[in-house]
Amino acid sequence: MKNVRVWFKKDDACRYISHLDLNRVMIRAIQKSRLPVWHTEGFNVHPYITFSLPISLGFRGERESMDMRILDDSLKLEVIKEELNKCLPNGLTVFDVTEPKSKPSVISSAKFKMRLSCNEISVEELYSDFQTLLNSDEILVDKKTKKGIKKIDIKEYFKDTKHYDTDYDIVVRVILPAGNTTNINPTLLINALNEKYGIDVYYDITRVDVFDSEGKSFE
Amino acid sequence: MIKSKLEKILLKVQKPGKYVGGELNAVIKNKDEVDVRFAFCFPDTYEIGMSHLGMKILYSLFNSKPYIWCERVFAPWIDMEEQMIKNDIPLYALESMDPVSEFDFIGFTLQYELSYTNVLNMLKLSNIPLKSSDRKELTNIVVAGGPCACNPEPIAEFVDMFFIGDGEEVDLEVIELFRECKKQGKTKDEFLYLASQIKGVYVPALYDVEYNEDGTIKAFTPNREGVPKKIEKRVMMDMDNSYYPDNFVVPNVEIVHDRAVEEIFRGCIRGCRFCQAGFLYRPVREKSVDCINEQCHTLCRNTGYDEISLSSLSSSDYSQIVPLLEKLTEWSVDENVSLSLPSLRVDGFSDDILSKIKSVRKSGLTFAPEAGTQRLRDVINKNVREDELLDTCLVAFDGGYTTVKLYFMIGLPTETMDDVKGIAELGQKVVNTFYKSENRPKGKGVKVTLSSSSFVPKPFTPFQWEPQDSIETIHSKQAHIRENLTTKKISYNYHDADTSFLEAVFARGDRKLNAVLLKACEKGMRFDGWSDCFSFEKWMEVFDECGVDPHFYANRHRSFDEILPWDHIDYSITKEFLISECRKAYENQTTPHCREKCSNCGAMKHKGGVCFEKCKSMV
Repeated sequence: MKNVRVWFKKDDACRYISHLDLNRVMIRAIQKSRLPVWHTEGFNVHPYITFSLPISLGFRGERESMDMRILDDSLKLEVIKEELNKCLPNGLTVFDVTEPKSKPSVISSAKFKMRLSCNEISVEELYSDFQTLLNSDEILVDKKTKKGIKKIDIKEYFKDTKHYDTDYDIVVRVILPAGNTTNINPTLLINALNEKYGIDVYYDITRVDVFDSEGKSFE
Repeated sequence: MIKSKLEKILLKVQKPGKYVGGELNAVIKNKDEVDVRFAFCFPDTYEIGMSHLGMKILYSLFNSKPYIWCERVFAPWIDMEEQMIKNDIPLYALESMDPVSEFDFIGFTLQYELSYTNVLNMLKLSNIPLKSSDRKELTNIVVAGGPCACNPEPIAEFVDMFFIGDGEEVDLEVIELFRECKKQGKTKDEFLYLASQIKGVYVPALYDVEYNEDGTIKAFTPNREGVPKKIEKRVMMDMDNSYYPDNFVVPNVEIVHDRAVEEIFRGCIRGCRFCQAGFLYRPVREKSVDCINEQCHTLCRNTGYDEISLSSLSSSDYSQIVPLLEKLTEWSVDENVSLSLPSLRVDGFSDDILSKIKSVRKSGLTFAPEAGTQRLRDVINKNVREDELLDTCLVAFDGGYTTVKLYFMIGLPTETMDDVKGIAELGQKVVNTFYKSENRPKGKGVKVTLSSSSFVPKPFTPFQWEPQDSIETIHSKQAHIRENLTTKKISYNYHDADTSFLEAVFARGDRKLNAVLLKACEKGMRFDGWSDCFSFEKWMEVFDECGVDPHFYANRHRSFDEILPWDHIDYSITKEFLISECRKAYENQTTPHCREKCSNCGAMKHKGGVCFEKCKSMV
């Protein structure tokens, strides 16, 4: 038996499914592929899979990963990739299958690309509002935690944000804490923007990559 | 175009995955390469509609023809509807994302009377005229089928044609006719007339209704020569060779029945007198064990589902149930596929079956005795005896079960308060049975849930002439059950009487209800089957404004010689048979099921199925 890490992209229609739904879709793809994947041995037998870092509903994912165990050690990783791709819906594509180098628990940050636009105001206005927000002394937002809603200041998380405007939207790149200890969802910044200026910003967010504490891509 | 508008609203609604398509096995074709585009509309949410077997069969069947592209459409939930209206997005189909108004056919399946407002609302969201007479061209042909099409009259003005009975053949015949008519440049009128010549097709515009002064029907007659007086249902007699999909669209988001489904037979041998399906789908037609086995295996392989449900109206009545389960478990165990068998009867609950299925997990058991006393169970011909039920419970308790759910109906014909009290008493007897069980789980209590719905008289049943209990009577019966419960081990819940009343109105309504539905749609009513949306007060307002008395349809006792609104529809069950069944009910007499003895209902004219099982075994 060997552990494998399945790398995939989540986009198109599959962008709109939740983590639980993604779990179900993957299990069915494995079942359909008939790959020799290790199953749990409980009452409800199913293929055992774990996702390295859940992704929010609506986000695109360019480098998502899921671990599973293969019963046949001689099975080529390339075959796993091909067979899974035959069984996945449009929008989920496996682009690589590797042997895991580190545990998902090393993940400490994630890189996002956001495209923001707004029907109510021009791109220039939105861009200047966005910059004003980033330059304010503090950016207080409501964050949902297990203990309820908490007010936190997210200014420091967004201090290295890179952004520019195009003809019709603003493109933002940012690296935020992610993983077991702290998670900052980029939509918190959009909430702050909406609240401060009374606007309704449309966002299109892609999680580009995830990193360990040294800033190296998770493998 | 719709796609880019959608992106901006999807993250504002619950479960956006329902509105984007892109599922595994969804059929994508090039619209320029097909002759007919069919929008298959399910007048309820994605989660409900995607669970529906009939839609899966017809979707795959239509798409198996190269010249047809069939796509799926569901009713958007109220949050999505609001966003669509606000952003000027018309109702669209999930495969192409094209507006429904671009389709040749707009087909609805009518599963439930309370979805009629959704049918209208979906047409409205598509910007299509609601009334058939306002749609003049040979496009946007609105068709409907399904069990509620057995009384099409309440929505007859909105639908161009109804398909009566099994759809597999008649639907294709009509689509092919349409294709020809379109090529030849025929008008919609010409097409509808030609379609009316096909067996199983009902075109309401070709019939006129006259009423008596008391509001009942005086005459129902074709208004053009050559139009059949009676519309006979279509039946698929050879189930093994009927089309069955080898593939389902597998949803990305969770739906109500998220598993593979195999239909093992159509119809039901039982003849419970309240059950419309038991009469509409006669005669019982089974698939062979080999056919079911092969279809199940193919479906699981193609979908990746690890659970398959063996579906029918009463699965333990499948004549080869044990050999079937043995055959299926030859591969299902190895492939980690579990089997479930819904609609089990109390008397069909054997260890043999139980050991092979997982429909009843250790958590609970569900049975439907339907009535609380033996007398009333005889009236409704639900041939389940109390001792059978209690024996089954005893077996279950011995096997470690601790919860039992019992389903009942209240308001059944001839019901007395003693029958109602019998429901509470039966609950108590189940509790007592638990303490008689010697191997019952120690240290655990028993939990019995009694659940009651209100009886809705339906067309084509022996009770089609019966009045429904008034809402007040239903309420007092519900209270009577509660008063007679003496232990906390029994909990009681009931289905809302208001919605059952509305269901009764539309189930046996006539064409005068079209105006009521139109008004309801104007007032923005939809999703009446959902407590989030249903408003009894609003409905009463609508009836009032239209000058229609809903009690005329729900609570009136009809005489056997009254012309019923659905008398022109022929489901092969004779009226004489229904009348004799109704009279037997009044005398507490039961009728044996089809395998015991033929009761001469009329279904034998189809020359097959259960009616000829004995002949086959004699050869």
